[in-house]
Amino acid sequence: MPHSLPSSGRVGGTTFTFWRQPSGWLLSLLLASHLGGWSQARVAPPRPPAPATRPSQAATPAPAGRTTVQYAKGFRLAYVGNYKVISIQNPFEPQAKVMRYLLVPRGAARPAGYPDAQVIETPLRSLVALSSMHVALADFLGSADLVVGVGSFKYVSAPRVRQRIAAGQVYEVGQGKELNNELLVAHHPDLVMTTGSPGEGIDHFQTLRAAGVPVLINSEWVETTPLARAEWVKVLAALLNKEAVVNQKFDAVAREYQRLAALGHQATKKPSVVVGLPFKDVWYVPDTDSYMAQFLRDAGATYHWDRVKAPSGSLALSFEAVAPVALGADYWLQTGSLSTKAALLAQDARYAAFAPVQRGRVFNNNLRTNAQGSNDYWESGAMHPDLILADLLHILHPELLPTWTLRYYRPLR
Amino acid sequence: MSPASPTPSPATPVVVRRPRLTSGLLLLILLVVLAFLFDVALGPVRIPVLTVARHLLGHGAAADTATAFIVHQIRLPKALTALAVGSGLAVSGLQMQTLFRNPLAGPSALGLTAGAGLGVALIMLTSGSAASALAVRQLGLAGSWALVLAATAGAAAVMALVLALAARVRDNVVLLIVGLMVASVTGAIVSLWQYFSAPEQIQEYLLWTFGALGGVTGPHLAVLATVVALGLGLALTSAKPLNALLLGENYARSLGLRVRRSRTLIILSTSLLAGSITAFCGPIGFVGIAVPHLTRALLGTADHRILLPGACLLGAALVLACDCLAQLPGSQITLPINVVTSLLGAPVVLWVVLRRPIRTAA
Amino acid sequence: MSLAPPSPAAPILTAENLTVGYAVRKNAPRLVAGPLQLTLWPGELVCLIGPNGAGKSTLLRTLAGVQAQLGGQLAVGGRPLASLPPEARARQLSVVLTERIEASHLTVQELVNLGRHPHTGWLGGLSAHDHAQVQAALVATGTAQFAHRPVGELSDGERQKVLLARALAQDTPLILLDEPTAHLDLPNRVALLRLLHELARTLGKAILLSTHELDLALQAADRVWLLPATGELLAGPPEDLVLSGAFAAAFQREGLAFDVATGTFELHAPTGPAVQLLGEGPAAFWTRRALLRAGFVPTASPAAWRVTVPPDVGRGSWQSQVPGRAMQQHTTIADLLQVFSNDYRKLA
Repeated sequence: MPHSLPSSGRVGGTTFTFWRQPSGWLLSLLLASHLGGWSQARVAPPRPPAPATRPSQAATPAPAGRTTVQYAKGFRLAYVGNYKVISIQNPFEPQAKVMRYLLVPRGAARPAGYPDAQVIETPLRSLVALSSMHVALADFLGSADLVVGVGSFKYVSAPRVRQRIAAGQVYEVGQGKELNNELLVAHHPDLVMTTGSPGEGIDHFQTLRAAGVPVLINSEWVETTPLARAEWVKVLAALLNKEAVVNQKFDAVAREYQRLAALGHQATKKPSVVVGLPFKDVWYVPDTDSYMAQFLRDAGATYHWDRVKAPSGSLALSFEAVAPVALGADYWLQTGSLSTKAALLAQDARYAAFAPVQRGRVFNNNLRTNAQGSNDYWESGAMHPDLILADLLHILHPELLPTWTLRYYRPLR
Repeated sequence: MSPASPTPSPATPVVVRRPRLTSGLLLLILLVVLAFLFDVALGPVRIPVLTVARHLLGHGAAADTATAFIVHQIRLPKALTALAVGSGLAVSGLQMQTLFRNPLAGPSALGLTAGAGLGVALIMLTSGSAASALAVRQLGLAGSWALVLAATAGAAAVMALVLALAARVRDNVVLLIVGLMVASVTGAIVSLWQYFSAPEQIQEYLLWTFGALGGVTGPHLAVLATVVALGLGLALTSAKPLNALLLGENYARSLGLRVRRSRTLIILSTSLLAGSITAFCGPIGFVGIAVPHLTRALLGTADHRILLPGACLLGAALVLACDCLAQLPGSQITLPINVVTSLLGAPVVLWVVLRRPIRTAA
Repeated sequence: MSLAPPSPAAPILTAENLTVGYAVRKNAPRLVAGPLQLTLWPGELVCLIGPNGAGKSTLLRTLAGVQAQLGGQLAVGGRPLASLPPEARARQLSVVLTERIEASHLTVQELVNLGRHPHTGWLGGLSAHDHAQVQAALVATGTAQFAHRPVGELSDGERQKVLLARALAQDTPLILLDEPTAHLDLPNRVALLRLLHELARTLGKAILLSTHELDLALQAADRVWLLPATGELLAGPPEDLVLSGAFAAAFQREGLAFDVATGTFELHAPTGPAVQLLGEGPAAFWTRRALLRAGFVPTASPAAWRVTVPPDVGRGSWQSQVPGRAMQQHTTIADLLQVFSNDYRKLA
């Protein structure tokens, strides 16, 4: 179902009430705050309420067999003739910031132009996923059987893929420096999909490319909102020619997310939240640009560092800087890998003074952890921000979703 | 005893240097007190000094729970830890430098810190299957005590090895080499484990190697303080043997020193100090090497009855000062303590090496 | 220097059937010297001399307790050395070793203070009596004026005296020194031996030192322990050992001949004829030396070649008589030797 945008029309059947503001002004503001990642931690300009859940591009209903990118900023999708062009922003590449991939139907000739682009033949028949999120992408599109290789058997939660692993239909190729190039060349999958990181630029996959195995480097982690992150499924959808499926399923997720976010924004009481588990002196907390901060905004929470920008990644604060907030917070979310209150206090007895611990309002996002120790929050959770938001709403505002059962979060007892 | 004792000639002023030494020690005590107060007063959260003082003395506003928490649960334990760490490392470094007659020896000379690192790496890096790691964590053992116990076990294993060897060999150089080899081997093993570990595990271990003075509170602090006090007490009884060892082992023996017993005492004291500090705070470098030299330069004596207390005080003052600097006053970020001590300690070591006079034959 | 008679008190050190050496492997000890019967009395300076490799250092280190004895009985102060606890042994004997000291930043005062180690309490604090002993040791060795200078700044001779002061401060009846003259120049060697002799006399200590300085040892020592390569030690006043020929015999194995008359080792092998030397005094002494160096054999008995020495040093001239030529006068020894060598060449 094509998605509509505020300045023109409405989605058939559902009504939203969005503030009508020029999206160009918004877009430049968002881009400016995102690109300012080099400077010291500073306060970002005040955000207008709930703008990031709104799609950012001007809307035209996508024609059949096509999809449009509405939330994500890290990639662009273009349809040209019988082929598609994916442009992915990759901050770790020294040469080009944007990498292009040509999705060409099998058997067709390579199109002229785009000298640096990699050619990927579509639709994919086999996929090697080096990150668990990519397994989730395939699973979301109903193409779990396409996954023939993973980086590590440990980090897979999708039941269908686990089945195939048990049946010996999936091989393990290692990650990072241990990437088993020989195995990959021998199996020759249609695509190897990985996540970019320093030291793992396209040069790292030289051997594979030389052997004719295409490598696609995602960067879904640059996204600052959960929906934008989830929208990366459209990259895989384009590779599988499953635009219709993704439009339907993703739109459903986005709709549900925005419905819940509206509830969150309307909440009158916004409880304060502290996030993360400290290690000795250091307490890493999400900064304003992290998707977690967006989750908290959409869940109607008060987050002390909502406007603070980290030089890179998360904010590394000293225990002392966070402790005053934690002492008086209403809720404590995400406590590393701990699952019980006893384990929490065994880590550091001082946590007992924190209000969330005293009132039993500590929650961790590791409910769906499988026997191998892999946390599904990072896999299917990435594709279902609506479920996570529902969890958060249920935790923070129990009266809003009284019948909801937690899917990804568990209380620490 | 000799049959004809010489009549003592008019005494030359041997007491001239006493006042200078006592004033030097008093100065150091003052320095420690000042550094302690500074360390408690400064931090990422700006708290007026008077408020801090009031909370320290117990007259803080009862409603101000956040400030009370910060002062009593965060800053005070951290300053006390810095006190223990500085005094313990400096004294053990001094002992090692005299025992091995090597100005570049430190508390890690015996390989204890390497052993502690091995114990910690065993827990952090070799979880085996994720399930067992999970189980360990669920039991709450992966709380800080597990790390402390692992580090202590590692350091104790190395200490046992060194003590066994010390009873057998006459030459101290052998012990020093054993320490170096232990450090090399453990380093290799840890690297091997790191190679096969997940990035999160490696990062966790890396964070441990940065050293941290915070996080040692309550029962941890009590244990650390007790063990360090014990180690310092043992070190004090080693003052006389250390003085005798200044001339070398043969002369020390001729003076009536039981060299093996003294060596055992010194190794035990160093193990308690360096081992416990590394177990609770991670490996903290350069304090043990730099402070003894600074103490000698400041107090101008080679007498360990003065040097030991002097190094204890100067080490405490230095680590407290480093902790103040690590807070980067005004900013929310805290530097790892190892970085600050290394930046301060490396120039001192260079200075020592470059200014040493040319040796002449005895 | 007073002529103190030997003390009738008990010997400080006695050794019976003492064998010394070192264990290369367990149960395979290498015997260096022994069995030895030794005695050291208070108030005398004993020099341990002998050719290289005879085992002087091993013997000294065994007596000091630094090395273990292989067999026999060794008693210090009446009690067996092996049974003495280290503290008690430190009150009986002190040592001065050859090894270099690395504590060059210690002041002289601090170093000598260390000598009181066996007498101080567990913390090592010095009492007034301790300070007095240290002071006396500094004065006795003449090192009091640089008591506050670092040891590293001293010359070799001064440092040796400081180490001796430390041993003195330890206040033991017996002091052992291992090659104390090794790195010293001649004036310092003389000074040190003189000092040691005096200390033995005035303080009544038994001082044993090993040395290669045969000349000084023969002069300074009250008794000499001569340890030849055969391992059979001979003890006695140096003159007895020299006159009995034991001294010469001990060093003969090295290919050295010892001249009992002059107390020196013969440096030169005779190649020429005997020359009768007429005259006395220093001129005769030094002419004899010159003739020896030239290869002649100076003798008092009548010989074909003859040299008459001037009666006073610096006045008069030498007269040489060689068969086959007239008597000649020489104003210098150089001239004498020149002529003699010509004469000798004519012979050949």
